[in-house]
Amino acid sequence: MKPLILWEDFQPGASLGEITQAFVPPLATAWRDIFGHDSAGGQAEGAGIAVAMMMRGYLGVVTPRPPGNVQARQRFTLNAVPQQGEAIRTVVTCVSKEIKRERRYLDLEVRGTGAAGRAVYSGTLTIIWAA
Amino acid sequence: MSIALQTVALTADPEVILAYGELTDDMNPIHVDPVYAATTPMGGCIAHGTMSIGLLWQSLFRTFGEVAPQRVDLDVRFIKPVRVGETIHAGGELREGETDCYTVWVRGDDGADRMTGTLRLLHEEVLA
Repeated sequence: MKPLILWEDFQPGASLGEITQAFVPPLATAWRDIFGHDSAGGQAEGAGIAVAMMMRGYLGVVTPRPPGNVQARQRFTLNAVPQQGEAIRTVVTCVSKEIKRERRYLDLEVRGTGAAGRAVYSGTLTIIWAA
Repeated sequence: MSIALQTVALTADPEVILAYGELTDDMNPIHVDPVYAATTPMGGCIAHGTMSIGLLWQSLFRTFGEVAPQRVDLDVRFIKPVRVGETIHAGGELREGETDCYTVWVRGDDGADRMTGTLRLLHEEVLA
């Protein structure tokens, strides 16, 4: 079993890896179960799936994590909504890390590209790392 | 451009939080394990931060319909956790002197901000 990824392990500027995941129909179903069926297949759903895929990408690459991490800030650019069946390649990079008020902060950049390399999303997650 | 985004609401029931965890593959125990969450500085389970962003998308696209901008830039801070069972409301207002930039928020029933930030809509002619 891999050891937990600790705050000390992150190196600013270093790529943490990549993962390719498809926008499968159950994701849309799950979205509608939470936010309702009024906007099924619409832009809100597409934008929400993009954020969900960004999180799935980050969580798929940066693992295993200590329990109790908390997100403090999110910068997110939506370039295009993912299409059902589209494979999204997500690349995660450590941008920076610092201690503030005795908390361990991390900035992780996450970029997602879809079919033929089209830009789908990019963003920076600011996370208070638990350990 | 609309001056205000349409306000929408969502109740963060345990079932909703669990479903959002499944959607994002994020089963961090701080969201789904009350016993563990009680031992953390949060003192109990909280909703995923990006669930608030999902609600904000509902607000944005109910306001503008399905006319999609070419690009959306969002920058938000999670000010205060969304507790299990809370109803949250998402909305925003056009910033003074701007045509495409909104101050956005997610608030609880108590009126206090849970998430705040800015959202900019970029249209094709701006990007060209």
